[in-house]
Amino acid sequence: MNLEFTDDQRLLFETVDQAVGRGYPAGGRAAATGSELGWSDQVWQTLGELGLTGLTVSADHDGAGAGPVEVYTSLAAMGKHAAAEPLLDGVYLPSWLIAELGTAEQAGQLLPQLAAGSTTIAVAHAEPGRPWGLAPATTAAADGSLTGVKSPVRNADQADRFLVTAVDETGRTGVYLVEATAGGITRADGRAADWGHTSQVEFAGTPAARLGDGAADAALRMAFSRARVAITAEAIGLMEAGLAMTVEYLKTRKQFGVPLATFQALVHRAVDVYSRVELARSMALWATAVIEAHDNGGAVDLPGTADDAFVFVADVATAVAEEIVQLHGGIGMTYESDVAHHAARLIAITESFGGVSSARRRAIASEALLVAPSALLGNATSAAP
Amino acid sequence: MDLELSPADREFRDGLREVFLGKIPEDVRRRSTLGRTTREDIVTSQRVLNQHGLAVPHWPREWGGRGWTPTQSHLYSAELQRAGIPQPLAFNVSMVGPIIAEFGSAEQKRKFLPATANLDIWWSQGFSEPEAGSDLAGLRTTARRDGDHYVLNGQKTWTTLGQYGDWMFVLARTDPDAPRKQQGLSFLLLDLNTPGVERRPIRLIDGSAEVNEFFFDDVRLPVENLVGEENKGWSYAKFLLGNERNGIAQIGASQRIYADLAAAATRRPTEDGPLAGDPQFRAALHRVKTTLLALEATQLRVTAASENGKASPVSSLLKLEGTQALQELSLLRMRAAGSDGMLLDTEAPLPSGEAAAVSAAQYLNLRKLSIFGGSNEIQRGVIAKTILGL
Repeated sequence: MNLEFTDDQRLLFETVDQAVGRGYPAGGRAAATGSELGWSDQVWQTLGELGLTGLTVSADHDGAGAGPVEVYTSLAAMGKHAAAEPLLDGVYLPSWLIAELGTAEQAGQLLPQLAAGSTTIAVAHAEPGRPWGLAPATTAAADGSLTGVKSPVRNADQADRFLVTAVDETGRTGVYLVEATAGGITRADGRAADWGHTSQVEFAGTPAARLGDGAADAALRMAFSRARVAITAEAIGLMEAGLAMTVEYLKTRKQFGVPLATFQALVHRAVDVYSRVELARSMALWATAVIEAHDNGGAVDLPGTADDAFVFVADVATAVAEEIVQLHGGIGMTYESDVAHHAARLIAITESFGGVSSARRRAIASEALLVAPSALLGNATSAAP
Repeated sequence: MDLELSPADREFRDGLREVFLGKIPEDVRRRSTLGRTTREDIVTSQRVLNQHGLAVPHWPREWGGRGWTPTQSHLYSAELQRAGIPQPLAFNVSMVGPIIAEFGSAEQKRKFLPATANLDIWWSQGFSEPEAGSDLAGLRTTARRDGDHYVLNGQKTWTTLGQYGDWMFVLARTDPDAPRKQQGLSFLLLDLNTPGVERRPIRLIDGSAEVNEFFFDDVRLPVENLVGEENKGWSYAKFLLGNERNGIAQIGASQRIYADLAAAATRRPTEDGPLAGDPQFRAALHRVKTTLLALEATQLRVTAASENGKASPVSSLLKLEGTQALQELSLLRMRAAGSDGMLLDTEAPLPSGEAAAVSAAQYLNLRKLSIFGGSNEIQRGVIAKTILGL
């Protein structure tokens, strides 16, 4: 039983932290998301050189074949700097779907490109006004061509390809590969609440190739569950940095001639932020360890774990985002302050991959709710007298 | 990372469960889970534990300690709480025992330690006073040296289970002129049958009387009952307060209450079917569930860190968040019981069961969790200073 990083995993965190930190000085997220690209090309190149883009791709396809803990450490380091590069939504998530659903040929073509960082793929599942958990309204015709509207699609303006969920004529949900240059695509670009690039993408008879030929529901559920856990790591990095900025601010900023840290009401609020973040970190690490156990063949409820962890971390993220802005006073309200960007990104995370409400709804409906929880695997049995 | 116990630790845990569930009488555990533990229950269970070498595992080995790893210590606390066993009397096993073992004379160790482990002596804590709660530096009780005796005058309060106390460990001022208030205190052992000792129960918010106040009027205790050096009591008290880190988050207790609550909710009717199907109830339950998972994972991280020889500064956090979770559970349990739970003291049979009938009393009683052991505001202060540097 152990929830600690190995030396290699710690080294990975420090490496990514330093590399990303160099590319993200003060005001880094504002500059990166304000650029045409939506992130820093220099940081992206560095991430590729460090092998971060290949983390979730197997060695057979030129990746590192690393596990969920490495995903955690890399995204936690990204979060620390509120870095905007699309590691998770542009590389990791599509790599999971392709590895699970794609044919050998599709995997052989796409995964090495993703691993090299030479392409990004936008996963388009959400539809305007449509609950995340329902089968998509987007349809796939007999020839595979797609018709429907997807929104929001993160970083769609830079993606070379889309992975689009759609229902075929027999009612099966599939995942379809679409070239960004394919015909019948209309894109309306915009910004998310965290200033990340996001678009509404409309497909009208757009040519597409199905990933594999089986039903995609299970693979989608697993991939989005992995993504929910992965993004909790980014949230932990954001919250840690947001807390550190806030503590520093309380120490240095003076009001009525004394540092804010002399006011107990403010200090206790900062402590509550700290203690919530510490619990959230434990939750994110625990869920990561559950995924690792799953990948090693353990009988665990990965989607249920992901929902529990995502809901907990999203609730903490919301509270922390609100508190770090509040404790910064007016400064925290400004676009120029880093803390505002950390807060905005935290809020955006709570609405990722279906959002906290839909994860909570599943968690509350789960039969597992009525069993006393234990973080230790196999510990729940014969617990009660 | 690894969320499974090693085979050796699993075997260790199963061994604990054998004693906890197999050797401690079922009715003792049942009363304990209902918050109706009696003095005899505590004595019974501690003696059974002591027979199996499980009463004082954290003491030095020569006095019954087991030299467990941090993981084993964690499992001990968690399983003990899950099994619904009355906690071994903290005043004996976590407080005065370790102090005597560490700082006491050879004579004191021989005289007190075996009797303390077996609960032949019931110890009470004599720290808090009306003007000194979490801030012990303000203690006023005095112990004046008079030949081969100390003469004790003053008042102690909030003495938990002091109604059963045979002996008390007292922090008293032996040097009123010490330059700092923390100096000049001594750690004394007092036989509560000594003339001049008066005890009075304090009735609490739930109607119970589990705390007491003590008055000392020229109480004479022999100098051989001084532990360690005169005027060094503060450092011994600090040793003691830093001693009890295991099980502080009370995860095992919360898991047990959670299981009871979920089971009760499947039986409890509402206008729309069993409470267990009510979305509001389920949402509240889920919030506690995730908090308990996060707390246990935090405890596992602390345990793993200390396994590697690193001290963790987060025990204040475990106290803060663990007690809040337990209080939230007690609120949920009271809400789940509804008006049945409002019966503070009843012999009437209820379809919702005994646990429902005491849920309001337990809710009220558990308000204490965020007050004793260093109030949660004190814990926030500790976190601010030691972790955040504020």
